Amino acid sequence: MSVIARDMAHRPESSSALSLVVNGESRSLEVEPRTLLVHALRDELGLTGTHVGCDTSQCGACTVLLDGLAVKSCTVLAVQVEGIEVTTIEGLSADGDMHPIQRAFVEHHGLQCGFCTPGVILTSVDLLSRDSEPSHATIRHALRGNLCRCTGYQTIVESVRAAGDALRDEGS
Amino acid sequence: MSEALIGVARPRIDAPDKVTGATRFAADGYVHGLLHARPILSTEPHARIRQVDREAALSVPGVVAVLVAADLPMATSGTDRTAEPLAREEVVFAGQPVALVVAETEAAAEDGAEAVVVEYESLPAVVGLEDAMVPGAPLARLVEEDEGGGDLESIHAGVDEGEQDADEEQLSGNVLDTVNRRSGNAAAALEASDVVLSGTFRTPWVYQAYIEPQVATAWLEPSGTLVVSTSTQGSFVTRSELARAFGLPLERIRVIAEPLGGAFGGKFALIEPLAAGAALALRRPVRLVLTRGDDFQATNPVSAQVTDLRVGARKDGTFTGIEARMLVDRGSNAGWGVEGITSLLVAGPYRWDAHDLRGYGVQTNRFPFGAYRAPGAPTAAFALESLLDELAVALDLDPIEMRLRNAVVEGDVGVSGNPFPTIGAVEVLERLREHSLWRDRESLPAGEGVGMAAGYWPGGNEPAAAVCRVDADGTMTVVTSAADMSGVNTGFAVIAAAAFGLEPEKVRVVSADTATGPYAGASGGSKVTYTVGKAVEGAARAARVKVLAAASQELEIAPDDLEVIDGVVRAVGAPDRSITVEELARKALRFGGRYEPIEGHGGSAQTVGAPSVAAHLSHVRVDRETGEVELLRHVIAQDVGRALNPALVEGQMRGGATQGMGWALFEQLDHDESGQLLTGSFLDYSIPVADRVPEIDTLIVEVPAPDGPFGAKGIGEAPVVAAAPAIVNAVAAATGTRMRELPLTPPHVWAALAESKPEDDL
Repeated sequence: MSVIARDMAHRPESSSALSLVVNGESRSLEVEPRTLLVHALRDELGLTGTHVGCDTSQCGACTVLLDGLAVKSCTVLAVQVEGIEVTTIEGLSADGDMHPIQRAFVEHHGLQCGFCTPGVILTSVDLLSRDSEPSHATIRHALRGNLCRCTGYQTIVESVRAAGDALRDEGS
Repeated sequence: MSEALIGVARPRIDAPDKVTGATRFAADGYVHGLLHARPILSTEPHARIRQVDREAALSVPGVVAVLVAADLPMATSGTDRTAEPLAREEVVFAGQPVALVVAETEAAAEDGAEAVVVEYESLPAVVGLEDAMVPGAPLARLVEEDEGGGDLESIHAGVDEGEQDADEEQLSGNVLDTVNRRSGNAAAALEASDVVLSGTFRTPWVYQAYIEPQVATAWLEPSGTLVVSTSTQGSFVTRSELARAFGLPLERIRVIAEPLGGAFGGKFALIEPLAAGAALALRRPVRLVLTRGDDFQATNPVSAQVTDLRVGARKDGTFTGIEARMLVDRGSNAGWGVEGITSLLVAGPYRWDAHDLRGYGVQTNRFPFGAYRAPGAPTAAFALESLLDELAVALDLDPIEMRLRNAVVEGDVGVSGNPFPTIGAVEVLERLREHSLWRDRESLPAGEGVGMAAGYWPGGNEPAAAVCRVDADGTMTVVTSAADMSGVNTGFAVIAAAAFGLEPEKVRVVSADTATGPYAGASGGSKVTYTVGKAVEGAARAARVKVLAAASQELEIAPDDLEVIDGVVRAVGAPDRSITVEELARKALRFGGRYEPIEGHGGSAQTVGAPSVAAHLSHVRVDRETGEVELLRHVIAQDVGRALNPALVEGQMRGGATQGMGWALFEQLDHDESGQLLTGSFLDYSIPVADRVPEIDTLIVEVPAPDGPFGAKGIGEAPVVAAAPAIVNAVAAATGTRMRELPLTPPHVWAALAESKPEDDL
């Protein structure tokens, strides 16, 4: 059958061995140099809570934390994050206990379909680490790069506010 | 039965998994030996395929196959996307899949796709909607469409087609369908009116913009069963489409509807035949994930429309006649269009003495039309509610008072020819009128304005079933096959809990697949809570009969004298004589047990519709220098029947209103004159972002639906319908300028302000 390629036993020719710190654990993987972090996380490490919603770095569904800063993981190569602490949505809830921000999103109805939610939450973690009592306008500005098609954003804003309150209570 | 459980705000039952990243969406599951597919999309809007050169792609390391139409085992010769997942000879829009590269990795598939060369012979492209209708216009499709499309048309709103047009209007062969709804003499009614207003209203193609792109994975079980795991609104409709595509018996196909990352009408069996065709051809598992760019180009957004509308009224504000001529761009969807629905909804939730409403479904060389939340309704409401706003000015009447004078009530015959069932139009308008934003609308700074508009969605019906089971730990599992698009599973849990007598926290809801679940239609048409929810109520009641029978024997009390509250069966009036549901379940579910399992099956076949009305207030500020419209505040009042969970109801109201803001200000899929998409990414196609959306007040109005579970009904679509005209009317209030083409982008507004004088006679 002419439509079938001859080389059926394909393995990428040039792959790089990497050692990444993801969610506090050291992980070894082999990827092609061109592999984006989002694909390494999803396809190599099975961390599928990081979602792909676009191919132009607009939607924010793939947002992760790099040394605590919210970064769209489609904008960096996997090979660039060696030596950097990567946190995905799975790493936010230690030992099965939800992070206060995750709890706030549940209790304040900050999600519907949930596809944008991991990215929204990680962007919010970054924001609240810098400003634990952000105004609604500040929250909305911070979330400009995270598209949500379901909620109309209001309950997301309320969730972030409530999370800030919870984090301050915890800290005090 | 515990009615007190109804109407309490509770978190979604799927929220913990979704906030922790535990939810497996359709692109997330591991499949052994999986291949990855990448489509080659037509670069031509209308052409014959001369040749597909696959050699270079096949030599790319990791590429397994490059498939064209002839390689897929299609069993039917139609030209819809199910029958023709890859174009055979003729491509009819830029973006139509022509070939499929299948590879060991996504990256290899991408490399392979870049190496495929397709040669085309260009054909005249039909791009302009009105041009396409002119006799003698080139045809957008040369190959004749086969008869006998699928089930896709009937799964949306429960709308009867109007009678076929008897007039002999001269139209090109691109006009695939005409609908004419007539009653009385509309021309004469308009002639006799004190005021008649007319206008032409234009709306662009609009994209559903679900954040999860379309994705499907297909494989063959060793038994030969075709399994398709997919992001779809309807598992059973996808199964029947696959059966039609490949000539397979239904029982050889299993469709698994995975958690939806947004859909809004756009995910009804579209790419599944392509993924399945590849899996059948190669006998290996194949996953097709559309990139966002491919999703923009190759899927099924909602039609552009042009509406000529004329309405009349008497001095006292009573509506007289309405005439509409509504052109619907179906793009390359030859199977169905919204001309039937939009020509019904353009009359709004109002009484008219006479009407003459015409819809035209026109094919062009654009994407195949698909549904998007209340398809055909936002466009209809934009035209009608804009003209009604002008009418109120012309008659010097309060816009809400004028609408109240004409609002339909139960029993009024609509333009469908059928009487309206219970409908909350009056209640919603009265509630909106009380809002301070409306009362204080005259005392705003210059450049600001408040507008209002109302609309409705008729709601759909389809028979549905559900089952439930109480386990030995006293918890209940409810099983349906409805895709949870809007939080319906959370609603099912409270329905089951209330109907049975259990704490809602003890109810799990499982979305089953076509091999294991009871029947449910696609999640669309705002019918899931109303129909599947009713079946869930029936299933829980049936299980309650079982638990009462067992308890009756244990307690030696007649079932009629027992009640079930919070998982305890007890004697009415003697609550100390009781036994827990858990204990009864344990006694039933064991070797030698004496009671039937505590399970139930329920079904529904709703025949009366449950329309939902939603009305909006919009407060805007318009910058005359830049043409930018800033949304300051939004209010939505909606009749929801009964709010099973007010938090989720408000979520639907706000989400729908926000999508209406997209219609009003931001969104348009634009083609150039040759038929090439200009806005094929989120860079060019902007949906509402967090800092452009205002606070949205929600006013829940409850007019119970007589046949709904606990009075509830479907509410997902109504909130989008009239959001855009409320914003457009607010812009008119702020500037005196009426805009008749969406969206109101800054250049468009700036130009209109420059051209017109305040409250110009258009």
